[in-house]
Amino acid sequence: MRRLKQFGLMLSLIFLAACGTTRAEIAPTFEQAAEEAKQSTVNFYMWGGDDGINRYIDEYVAPRLKETYDVELNRVPMDTAEFVRQLSLDKRANREEGTIDLMWINGDNFRNAAEADLLQGDLLDKIPNAALLNEEAQSIDAGTPTNGLEVAWGNVQFVMHYDADKVKNPPTTFDELHRWTEENPGRFTYPEVTDFTGNAFVRHLLYAEYGAGAGDGEIPEDFWEKLATWSPYLWKQGATYPKSLAQLDQLYAAGDVWMTMGFNERRAEAERNDGVFPNGTRALVLEHSIASTHFLAVPFNAKNPNGALVVINELLSPEAQLAKQDATYWGDGTSLDLTKLDAADRDAFLKLDDGVTYPDPERLAERSIPDYGPAVIDAIREEWDRVAQ
Amino acid sequence: MSRSSLWLSLFVLALPFTGVAFLIHETVGFDWSELNDAAWRASLTVTLYVTIVSTVISLVIGTWLARSVYRRRSTWLASLLRWPMFVPHVAAAYLFYVLFSGGFPFYGLVEANERHHLVVILTYVWKEVPFVFLMVIGTYAQLNRGYVDMAKTLQLTPFEQFKVAEWPFLVKPLLDSFWVLVAFISFAYEVPALLGVTFPELLGVLAYERLTTGLFLNAYESYAVALIWTLFIFIGVIGSYAVTAKRRRRIERGVRR
Repeated sequence: MRRLKQFGLMLSLIFLAACGTTRAEIAPTFEQAAEEAKQSTVNFYMWGGDDGINRYIDEYVAPRLKETYDVELNRVPMDTAEFVRQLSLDKRANREEGTIDLMWINGDNFRNAAEADLLQGDLLDKIPNAALLNEEAQSIDAGTPTNGLEVAWGNVQFVMHYDADKVKNPPTTFDELHRWTEENPGRFTYPEVTDFTGNAFVRHLLYAEYGAGAGDGEIPEDFWEKLATWSPYLWKQGATYPKSLAQLDQLYAAGDVWMTMGFNERRAEAERNDGVFPNGTRALVLEHSIASTHFLAVPFNAKNPNGALVVINELLSPEAQLAKQDATYWGDGTSLDLTKLDAADRDAFLKLDDGVTYPDPERLAERSIPDYGPAVIDAIREEWDRVAQ
Repeated sequence: MSRSSLWLSLFVLALPFTGVAFLIHETVGFDWSELNDAAWRASLTVTLYVTIVSTVISLVIGTWLARSVYRRRSTWLASLLRWPMFVPHVAAAYLFYVLFSGGFPFYGLVEANERHHLVVILTYVWKEVPFVFLMVIGTYAQLNRGYVDMAKTLQLTPFEQFKVAEWPFLVKPLLDSFWVLVAFISFAYEVPALLGVTFPELLGVLAYERLTTGLFLNAYESYAVALIWTLFIFIGVIGSYAVTAKRRRRIERGVRR
């Protein structure tokens, strides 16, 4: 019996130790935050599925942070939905000292995190480089106002890529794309709508039919019937769809399908140069393209929020943004407003804009449309199953 | 029983109970009618189909192999047959994906990612046959040859020989294997995720998907399904052991020489 009591006491002590800590404080100014952050480690949770992105963080950003601010950056690769979920469990368990200091987030994951009150607010005034941000991109995230809970990191548009050696007359509209799939059965598919990109593709088709009007999440029955007519001509007769964009990219790289797609108009350049994508890879801009901004946020229970501010400021510096947009690593569009930069920086950005697989920037900008809100993303996710049946 | 082993067994026992308690806690107030959607219904059907077919085929082939090895006493075959056990499920799934999905040897015959889930079943059979083999070969090793000899002396047909001299002893290991395989296959992720189709998905894949799409509301569906499935397997195990208990006890007593 005494043993049992000791055991119980030990258990409750462990439990108390886990709960007793308090939230870390954010310093009032950036200078103080940088001082506090010295010799600390920042755990940066981010989707880790792209080699170029990972190398940008590990080879470019981390050494600069070490040198300038004496801050260690620890990249933790994890699916966004998963760490948002982990964070919500922290919240429910009242865990005030978490493991995540900084995270890469957008879209419905941000909406969920904001609704569940998982993020630190008032980030913008504490980060000097936030003054350079493109205000339009910063203000809204796929239909959800950002309210200073996250800071824009990059800004991209949805673009398709095709193999010009196999596709002689590329379609110019979504209707033509539909006809093209009928003439080339099995050569096109899109990821499942639980995937970020697959869902976006279906939103483009929705926009092609109904314009901005379908934004309330009520999707007409006709749309699904029409989408079902695509199925017989898709890869595997539409009996199955790639589970992720990575899987679609593999099919494209292997030549099984002749088109791929994704957010970020520059994403195919490095793949083509490395010989992963076919040499004939070119961009395909149809009649409209959703613009998407992705963001950085600090969780409510970050252990090192000051370090996180330092990292965000560094990631928003014109040099880091320029290196990010260069095809060497990532090719991700900048979230900064070029008119706010000085002339030399601005020129450096403009010079980057030529790549074999890049679309014409003016045409792309002209066809840019804002994203539907999360209601449409959810509705597509719930109702698309009937197309896959 | 020493005190440390008592603590250890209590700890091991506590884990599944904590799991079930967590699931019950999470599903309090859950609207169970939400599970009545097409995706879950189709998933249940296809899961039962894949699980039962893979399990039964594995049991039959595994037993048959164990029997041949026992009769021929070929130890090299016995050790060879264990090899697939060392391949992780995800590697096996990828192997079969490569074999069956593009132009390579079996193209056109059976293909990965199709509605009948034939490649999923094939992968499971390849992986689970050695497991069944191991479970059954132990029984054969202990089998009293006297029964077989007597059956032969009585000039029974080969099938009747098997029925009276071997089958009664196989009930226990086959029942064990059956529930291990059913519990494992019905809620596994990696094999059907790689080799299955978008619709219908197996329970494990659909549950994981609903759990991780970031829609917190749907997570409760996964918990509810996991809870129902746990209870289903639990009741199945208890029920099937209860029904066969009397027979098994009689045989176990008889087998002791």
